Amino acid sequence: MGTRERRNRSNESDRFLASLFNKSLAALPPKAAHSGIALAAVGGYGRAELSPGSDLDILILHNDSLSESELSEFANALLYPMWDTKRVDHSVRTRTQTRDAAHDDLKVALGLLDIRLVCGDADLVAAVQHDSIDSWRKESRKRLPQLRLSLEERHERAGELAYLLEPDLKEARGGLRDINALRAIKMSGAVDIALERISWAESTLASVRESLHEVTKKNRDRLLFQEQDLVAQHLEYGDADLLMSDVARAARSVDYLLNSTWHRLDSKGKDGLGRILRKPRTTPLGGGISVTHQEVVIDELEDLNADPVVGLRAAAKAAQLGLPLSLDTCARLSAILKEGGAQLSNPWPREARENLVSLIGAGSAMVDVFEALDQEEIIFSWIPEWNSVRSLPQRNVLHRHTVDRHMVETAVKAAALTRNVHRPDLLLVGALFHDIGKGTQEDHSERGARLIEPLAKRFGFPQEDIETLKILVLHHLLLSATATRRDLDDPATIASILAVIPDLETLELLHALSIADGEATGRAAWSPWKASLVSELVSRVRNAMSGSTIALQPDISDEQREVAQAGILRVTLEERDSDYSIEIISPDKPGLLSIVAGVLNLARLDVRSARTKSHGPSAVMKWIVTPDPHAPTITAEKLHRDIEAGLKDSKGIEERINNRALAYAQLPTIPVPAPIVESIRDAATDATVFEVRSHDRPALLFRIGVAVTQSQVDIRSAIVTTLGAEVIDTLYVTEISGGALSDERAREVRERLAAMLK
Amino acid sequence: MKLITAILKPFKLDDVKSALQEHGVNGMTVSEASGFGRQRGHTEVYRGAEYTVDLVPKVRLEVLVDDNEASSVVDVIVKAASTGSIGDGKVWTTPVDQVIRVRTGERGVDAI
Repeated sequence: MGTRERRNRSNESDRFLASLFNKSLAALPPKAAHSGIALAAVGGYGRAELSPGSDLDILILHNDSLSESELSEFANALLYPMWDTKRVDHSVRTRTQTRDAAHDDLKVALGLLDIRLVCGDADLVAAVQHDSIDSWRKESRKRLPQLRLSLEERHERAGELAYLLEPDLKEARGGLRDINALRAIKMSGAVDIALERISWAESTLASVRESLHEVTKKNRDRLLFQEQDLVAQHLEYGDADLLMSDVARAARSVDYLLNSTWHRLDSKGKDGLGRILRKPRTTPLGGGISVTHQEVVIDELEDLNADPVVGLRAAAKAAQLGLPLSLDTCARLSAILKEGGAQLSNPWPREARENLVSLIGAGSAMVDVFEALDQEEIIFSWIPEWNSVRSLPQRNVLHRHTVDRHMVETAVKAAALTRNVHRPDLLLVGALFHDIGKGTQEDHSERGARLIEPLAKRFGFPQEDIETLKILVLHHLLLSATATRRDLDDPATIASILAVIPDLETLELLHALSIADGEATGRAAWSPWKASLVSELVSRVRNAMSGSTIALQPDISDEQREVAQAGILRVTLEERDSDYSIEIISPDKPGLLSIVAGVLNLARLDVRSARTKSHGPSAVMKWIVTPDPHAPTITAEKLHRDIEAGLKDSKGIEERINNRALAYAQLPTIPVPAPIVESIRDAATDATVFEVRSHDRPALLFRIGVAVTQSQVDIRSAIVTTLGAEVIDTLYVTEISGGALSDERAREVRERLAAMLK
Repeated sequence: MKLITAILKPFKLDDVKSALQEHGVNGMTVSEASGFGRQRGHTEVYRGAEYTVDLVPKVRLEVLVDDNEASSVVDVIVKAASTGSIGDGKVWTTPVDQVIRVRTGERGVDAI
């Protein structure tokens, strides 16, 4: 199996056709001109690539010097002997007719790009070849969009080669036709394409197709389930899984190159003035990353060894903006990681973990970025465990993707469910790794729970989060298995869940993971019917559980209490690895939360978490912030001055924040789940608790503070958490005169918050 | 010939399946179903709001059998599916005119 066999097959056909051609020519009346006629091969035969079942695509070219009857006699003499033995697709045309046909029909135009003389008038074939390539280049602006449309239609029809149980090697997305399309795009000269990147893919797919033809003795290109074992054997693979894994990898690399090619064609010349200035317009995003040519790039001057997080930062940024990561950036990152440079510390710094969560949480925009990290083998440097599931096929009717892609799809579905849980970061990481234990004979949930521990430790999760992740991975099938196979009315069923799920927070995480896993697996594994059974089980378990998912008010120390009683402003600042811990004890007043949040925002400090609580005449606040790459050096004195000024006059802060928002570059956005605002009356603290769950955005906490303050209420306590790109803010609110809010007042605050978040 | 249709609690499917296999029934069709009978559905409280779940998830099982086996197969299903509480489901039989196995063209009892 291989290129040589396919070439030999083509040479053999050449010889056979040449003898027929000469015989047919000799049969013509002697007066007829014997020059000005030629036989040419087009399409796959033109490239001398013939599988056993391939059609012979031929073109009989003539210069109109033969009469119609002579021409038809000639064609019949040439074609009839092949009628029963070969499948021939032929046309008879002059040079002009060929040009017109190519003009009208994309398929003809593509076939002609590979035209090759078999025998006859070589000049005629050379002229047609010149015409075809020349017009393909000249009309590329018109032809390439047509090509793209035809590809999209075909992909829609044939599906994705990498993930189908019974894929069509030629027609499916990432298949042999796509390789031809890439070759055609390159020939148009519109963009350069590194075709050598897919040479392994091409030879793999071509060999599998050739073997399929050999094994089945048919010219079908669809690799049916029942034939996969035979083909694997024929090509000397250990088993069909290994064969399908190679097919998937090949198809993915073709698809990746095709996608990035379309993107480069799309963004060509979209940089406005940059085109005239011959310098692409660049929007710096900070942290050594920019957007250029509608792609996220790592700046050339950025030192990857000094800032190893930059790769994850760029990937997260790209996913959150819905843009691709540039090929050059990927190549640069990949090269340095392979040399052992730009290594992340163990455990990862907090910023790396947060960026991983932002990347996973970007929803469908994450798929292409993750695919780039896979194709460029970057992900394996960060997460070596990913290698064991790379393109691992799941050859059963339930699954529609390979293991790795299934986990990516689960993360995409989980990103839509982040509002349903209080730890979106654990949901997303759990989703991306829930099947990491697949690939051996061992129970994959148990193996996965073992593998997730060191992984989560490396990501820098604290031990209690690691325990939760272990539960998620170990029990990711528990809810759906129990809901469909056990009696929900039986108290023992509920007890069996309570025995392994420690609290409400874990229950809601496991529920969301079950939904995401089911939806990503497909209709065969998940239906509204099954979803309703699982929800029923979860609600019964929830009723049997005590506790709450609402964040508790923070404790304050005796020392803090003492300072708070004095009612004076005190700011202390502690610089840590990649963030600052800031303690602020300030005289309390309505709007204090938004004033401090605003001051921090203007100092270009990004709030990762905050715990605030009123005590006596003051509020005690603990903030964890990360500085923006453009942030000026901060000091406790400067913050002290700014907060003091803000306490006297807070109007200036809002104005400056609004001005800054206007000045931000207009960057693209991705769809995110709608924010959720909930309120509950908390008897224990005699306060109304508002919980806001939203996608993060600049100055969010400031605006939440402003919206609440407008209702003339008192924020007694606030617990603010940013997890990747998701935010959960819990506010304990009372009337200024004390006591929880009435239902009507609570609704008023909720409405204000909802309006602000819109 | 008879078509036996059974509506069961989902978690009872495995029991019924193995009981039928033991009884010598090898082919069946199973589908997801939802509906209500005397069980009527129930009310739920979710995030403070009360709503009624009026369709209860069930499994629908269909088996084709020869006339003289119908009543014993029904008994096997009823016995395996019973929990004694409401919502256990229903079993009914329907006369069948003709059965054809698509692959071979066999007809009647031979096709079962």
